[in-house]
Amino acid sequence: MQDFLELTVSATASGCVYGLLALAYLLMIRPTGIINFAVGEWAMVGAFGGFLLLSKYEWNYAAGMAVVLAFMFLVGWATERIAVRPLVERGAPVLAPILALLGMLMVFREVVSVSFPPDPHPVPYPFGLGRLELGPLGGSYQSFFIIAVTLIVFAGFWYFFEKTLWGRSFEAVALNRRAAALMGINLSRVTALSFAGGAGVAGLAGLVVSPNISAHYLMGVPLAIQGFTALVIGGVGRVEGALLGGLLLAFAEQLTARYAPIPSGFAQGVPLLLMMVFLLLRPTGLLRAKT
Amino acid sequence: MRWLGAFVLLAALPFFLGDYHNDVYRKMLLWVTLALGYNFLFGICGQVAFSHFAFYGIGAYSVVILLFQLNVPLPLAIVLGVAVCIVVALAVAIPSTRLEGFYLALATLALAQLFVVLLNEGGSVTGGNGGIANYRLPDIFGVRIRGPWYTAVICALLVGTYALLWRLDRSWFGRACRAVRDNPEAAAAMGVDVARTKVIAFTLTSALAGVAGMVYAFVDNTVNPPIFGLDNAFLLLFMVIVGGAGRHAGAVIGAALLFLLPFFLSPIVGHHHVLVFGVLVVAAILLQPKGLIGLFDFMRKSS
Repeated sequence: MQDFLELTVSATASGCVYGLLALAYLLMIRPTGIINFAVGEWAMVGAFGGFLLLSKYEWNYAAGMAVVLAFMFLVGWATERIAVRPLVERGAPVLAPILALLGMLMVFREVVSVSFPPDPHPVPYPFGLGRLELGPLGGSYQSFFIIAVTLIVFAGFWYFFEKTLWGRSFEAVALNRRAAALMGINLSRVTALSFAGGAGVAGLAGLVVSPNISAHYLMGVPLAIQGFTALVIGGVGRVEGALLGGLLLAFAEQLTARYAPIPSGFAQGVPLLLMMVFLLLRPTGLLRAKT
Repeated sequence: MRWLGAFVLLAALPFFLGDYHNDVYRKMLLWVTLALGYNFLFGICGQVAFSHFAFYGIGAYSVVILLFQLNVPLPLAIVLGVAVCIVVALAVAIPSTRLEGFYLALATLALAQLFVVLLNEGGSVTGGNGGIANYRLPDIFGVRIRGPWYTAVICALLVGTYALLWRLDRSWFGRACRAVRDNPEAAAAMGVDVARTKVIAFTLTSALAGVAGMVYAFVDNTVNPPIFGLDNAFLLLFMVIVGGAGRHAGAVIGAALLFLLPFFLSPIVGHHHVLVFGVLVVAAILLQPKGLIGLFDFMRKSS
């Protein structure tokens, strides 16, 4: 039992990271239909931003975090400008920007691998190494920090989509692009903002997860796949689905690694199997979109 | 006749090459073969799949495991290897083509990842991280095929694949594939069974990749997990896009170019040729969606 409670906190924390990545996908898929696999590379860029500002130049954590976020918004906006907008304006099929973004994924990864040596780069913990006990639940400071950050982000986006006019306009675009455009919503601005937001969330995920796994230029693809699996499980219909999917995925992963009598390597296969099962049986995800 | 001529020309070349260049030449031919198959799936039938390279691996591993661990004779091992590819391809394609949109890409992405996990964890069956090495092609009728003669086998594979896909492209099936790519609803209205066309195209090209994998297994006489990872699956996609999706000649040009480019780039950019690939792909999609072959057509028309 003690064992299980210990696992609960760490699984929740990694579920939160997957949830953030799934949210980054969702922010872009909802209004545009574009699946952007570069999300994982964005997380990697965020992690390297953390290394540069927090480890190398030893900035204050909050200031470093804010600058990384601002930089990620810029990266997302620039990506949309370079690889998405020209194609959308030309009326290219939706596959074209997806493939262009796959090309951008390679560009991001290689730019980082050219700029930094290939070994892992440490990123500091905001509150140091330590344990926090909350009643029966115990875990590292970082686990609780990740959970708190994720809850704030999700609450923020929930408020944005549900309560603000801007957020409602995003929803309108997601439901029907043409009708939304006819109602006077600026489609290209919504697209640009959704990419900036997606990059911000992905970079944040990379920044908070990097103290545990270190920043490395190959960290992107596994994160991209896990985030995507979380999205498939939760469904693209609702913001909460991303978090739910991430948590389910992390628990499935950690419970099999801990308790199932199979070699640890096979446990890596569990999320992939889960993703295939969900794709085949429940392609809309667990949560249905609201009508 | 034309195919035979092409085969003789391609197969004669390695007899004038040294060992190193022969090796490079063989691998280029294999990439071209793979790109041709992938072009049929992605360029002509319009399906995005990341599993093509995994099927290459499934073919290579299954023939090696069947031959040297289960001691199956070579012809039977080839047939069984193809059968394995077909069964796996059907298992992935039938459920995912029922769904709209991008689902085949996702299911195949998961398959490609799962395959590498299985290879790494396969213990003595797959040889784990190190893969399987130290075997050689069994003698066929007492003849040992090696050196440039084995390159001739690869040339036969390439020309055979090209001929098959070329014929197929010009048959009713090829036209059905193009119709499915351009407008599935219209294709269905014209009496094309969209789901069946997609499943057949996916299974056929996957089986072709499997056959290419079997041939590859005896090029280096070693199979190991890193070769069959996602990076090469992306590279294959990039080759077809840069060359020109939907055109056989485009696939050939793209594969040859992206395969040979690192050899010329390495003195300039070292190991970072992938950066050049990424830029090339983005540029191709933005500036010339028909790829290099489209650029070639354009220049010929304007001159």
